[in-house]
Amino acid sequence: MPIAILILLLLLYAAVRRVPVFDAFREGAARAIPLLKTILPTLAVFSAAMSLFRAGGAFDLLSSFLSPAANALGVDSALLPLILVRPVSGSAAIAALSDLFTQYGPDSRIGYTASVLLGSSETVFYTLALYFGSVGIKKTRFAVPAALLSLLTSVVTGLLFSSLFFSP
Amino acid sequence: MDPVILFLLLAGIGVSLFSGNADGVLTALQNGASDAVQTVLRISGAYLLWMGLLNIAEKAGLIRALSRLLSPVLSLLFPKAGGAREAIALNLAANMLGMGNAATPYGLSAMRLLSETNPRPGVATDEMCVLLVLNASCLELFPATLVGLRASFGSARPAAVVLPTFLSSLSATLVAVILCLVFTRPCRSRS
Repeated sequence: MPIAILILLLLLYAAVRRVPVFDAFREGAARAIPLLKTILPTLAVFSAAMSLFRAGGAFDLLSSFLSPAANALGVDSALLPLILVRPVSGSAAIAALSDLFTQYGPDSRIGYTASVLLGSSETVFYTLALYFGSVGIKKTRFAVPAALLSLLTSVVTGLLFSSLFFSP
Repeated sequence: MDPVILFLLLAGIGVSLFSGNADGVLTALQNGASDAVQTVLRISGAYLLWMGLLNIAEKAGLIRALSRLLSPVLSLLFPKAGGAREAIALNLAANMLGMGNAATPYGLSAMRLLSETNPRPGVATDEMCVLLVLNASCLELFPATLVGLRASFGSARPAAVVLPTFLSSLSATLVAVILCLVFTRPCRSRS
């Protein structure tokens, strides 16, 4: 179990460096609380909207339009909501991923591919707005096309590597 | 965010009405909101655990060690970063270790430092664009919260996604680095 070894090494290293392990853990874990508090409302909006979108039949309609294109590219149409919301909002992507985990299970092909897709890309539009917004940048030059090309790469390679590494 | 949410809600209600499923609208909305509570309960354990462990890693100096390792690559990508170089290194190192929350303050302070020496305010410099592109494509050495999320949904092999995630984010980062070098090189040889 590589994670067990990773945690063991981390704790040993921290002990050698005389890090106050207990206090450091508590301090870090305490920072999770405001984070979870901000995630919940966003997650609630997106989960409610996506649940309605699916239950009412709108998702079936949309995927009947998109699935020929998606199938031609080898993408399961169940992954489309995740791929579409990932660059916009991290919480929405978590909502989409949890939805897939509940429907198909985290160890299914879809759950596995969805994990890789979420893990290997970033909330590109949010990052753009936050970083450039913070210093009042209006002209973004090559940042947007380069960021979008790298996002596209992460989707393509995410699909590729998850089909290479997936074993049921 | 508004266009996305409005599209989902309006299309959701519209299609429900057309298919004579109007009664299901409220149930679907409420089920979704309850799912959000379930999801937060599931991920909260993973977040508490990993943010605790990652803070131990930060206190033990792992971010600093990684940012020192990165410095040769960074001087190639950010030749004119000046005083912002340290914040940039810390930002990218924290991102690679899956500490997005630790990474953002470093990233914003790097942007502020770069902005102070910007000859044309409002227009992004090469350095700013490269920092943004790298943040938008970040290499993921260990996606801690993703692994935690998978475990909380009962995965038998939560860490099985670490290697493909690393390789896929590596490809995206390589594309980002190459694009940055292509876009910034011509300007530099002229100046």
